[in-house]
Amino acid sequence: MEDQATLAYLNMFAVLGSLENLTDLLPRAREQVRTPKPVSVGFAVKDGPQATITFDDGHARLTEGVDNCDVKLPFASPEKFNGLIDGTVTPVPSKGFTKINFLLKQFTPLTETLEKYLRPDPKDLENRDFFEVSTKVMFYVIAAALSQVANHDEVGRFSAAHTLDGDIAFGIKDGPQATIRVNAHHFQTIKEPCKEPRAVMEFESLDLARELFDGKVVALASIGTGQIAMRGMISMLDNLNRILDRVALYLA
Amino acid sequence: MTEIYKYPKSIDGFDRALKVIPGGIYGHQGPAEGCYIPSDAYPRFSSKAQGSYFWDLDDNKYIDYMCAYGPNVLGYGDPDVNAAAMEQLKIEDCATIPSYKMVEFAEVLVDTVASADWAFFCKNGGDTTTLAIMTARAHTHKKKIIFVNGYYHGVNMWTQKLDYPGVLPEDVANNLYVDWNDIPALEKLIEENEGEIAAFISTPYMHGNFVDNELPASGYWQKVRELCTKHGIVLIVDDVRAGFRLDLAGSDHYYGFKADLICFCKALANGWNVSALCGQDFIKPTISGLTYTGSYWMSAVPFAAGIACINKLKAVDAPRDFARKGLDLTNKLKQAANENGFHLVVSGEPALFYLRLADDDSLMIHQAWVAECVKRGVWITNHHNHFINYSLSDEDINRTAEIADEAFKALAKRM
Repeated sequence: MEDQATLAYLNMFAVLGSLENLTDLLPRAREQVRTPKPVSVGFAVKDGPQATITFDDGHARLTEGVDNCDVKLPFASPEKFNGLIDGTVTPVPSKGFTKINFLLKQFTPLTETLEKYLRPDPKDLENRDFFEVSTKVMFYVIAAALSQVANHDEVGRFSAAHTLDGDIAFGIKDGPQATIRVNAHHFQTIKEPCKEPRAVMEFESLDLARELFDGKVVALASIGTGQIAMRGMISMLDNLNRILDRVALYLA
Repeated sequence: MTEIYKYPKSIDGFDRALKVIPGGIYGHQGPAEGCYIPSDAYPRFSSKAQGSYFWDLDDNKYIDYMCAYGPNVLGYGDPDVNAAAMEQLKIEDCATIPSYKMVEFAEVLVDTVASADWAFFCKNGGDTTTLAIMTARAHTHKKKIIFVNGYYHGVNMWTQKLDYPGVLPEDVANNLYVDWNDIPALEKLIEENEGEIAAFISTPYMHGNFVDNELPASGYWQKVRELCTKHGIVLIVDDVRAGFRLDLAGSDHYYGFKADLICFCKALANGWNVSALCGQDFIKPTISGLTYTGSYWMSAVPFAAGIACINKLKAVDAPRDFARKGLDLTNKLKQAANENGFHLVVSGEPALFYLRLADDDSLMIHQAWVAECVKRGVWITNHHNHFINYSLSDEDINRTAEIADEAFKALAKRM
């Protein structure tokens, strides 16, 4: 069963965090949030995550904390914040009323674009450019979600408690790469290629990754065919796979 | 130089398998759980097996140190065991009431295994570990079980972990965990759960995967025995993997203590499908009252094979042979590693040796070396202990050392 606090961390750092990647990959997304001066939006969740997304020249960057934001959106609980993500809660800023226009006319349309790429219409995926951006953004969502589930979900923490220290290279061949850093059973996702991996999990192609994300192919079979390459400290990947199983539950 | 194997028929076969079998090959004998790294270095299916060898679909021959993950203890197709099985097959196998062979096999085990006053037959190792847990709970009317971290006792729900897909928290709610060889931690765990613990279950030594295997510290098992007796905890030895390879009287006997319940499978009948839970008299009334059975558990052919297997293991003093060959082989592998600038760590008992190249902490160099060996006809595995069988010859060992040396040289060239 999913837990609301874990879901809030995942929504913050994986889903909203993927605005970084969407704005990097998609010029249209950058245009949606381009402003003369940088604008930052803070999300303060009581008993949950706190983070700020800064938009600078169309590019989004997420940082922990809400101390230096132009607009602050408070949420009384993780459930309320999760309501923002699923569209059932409309937030009221506690700071930055002069930036309401940015929120309504630029940020909200950007999140709608993100949803279009994260929950794509099958017809849109027939366009190769759309397919590639959608799959890459989805990859970063999953990579970031891994760490949130490992650090917050009860079962995820059990897997994390059995994971050795070191960096895991998690990526798609000739595509996006991430480093999953494990230190004293705490996970951190770094959206950059891994320099010195202790374990490697790599998908053969964007197409395979998409099929895995959509549940159309099975990871075990893909390992057998060599379409997913694994090497190194396999016990780390065993635990990573179990956490991935939990990620699917939260992202469903 | 040894020819490098190719696997076109295996690959075709695996593609066909994927269409009709989940994952193509599920479980530990498949490419995922079997850690085939990289996957194209390994075949998928065997075509025949004899003695210490098997051949894949492409007719590549392997000197096999996994021995079907243990069942091959005398040699694939051992003539004496198979003759006994074939003779029984002509008479009867699976019938409405059991063959008397079951009694004869139980008598052989009771006469062979030091802690056995009786034997209860099943099919797989996991059947016996589950039966042992049920018996312990029925006997003590307690629910908690102590496991040693890094354990493997089969795949039944109670043996799995909280984060395994399909496992409920309730399935593992009564599982307690302690580190191997850690008596103070065990004492603390027992104290914290006083009056609630039904059983302590462990393999005779720690042959976990991904880590060097660890033998019991001096006096460890004697202290465990003492604690279990003192607190009314049933002491279960899972001898499915090591059974009959260290000591025909049981691995508890080998390490100088007596289990309450002891589980056997792999080496019991040289590949014929039978397993056995053996135990002491005091717990026999409890197990007699359990509802636990299966459609094929009393088939007679495996009983006949088991009798022949145990008798032959005794006749050839197999554990002594396994220890000598295991030591000889691993010394030669270590020498080949040293001569090529690598550091091979051998752990566990020689009859079930575990290998690890200690030249990086990711094990990628180890995985690359294992793949080079497999592609040249020596079947070793990355992260599981190996097995010696009686038919392994000194010539096989020497040939293995040659191939290992070639594999190290190939690896050194790439680095």
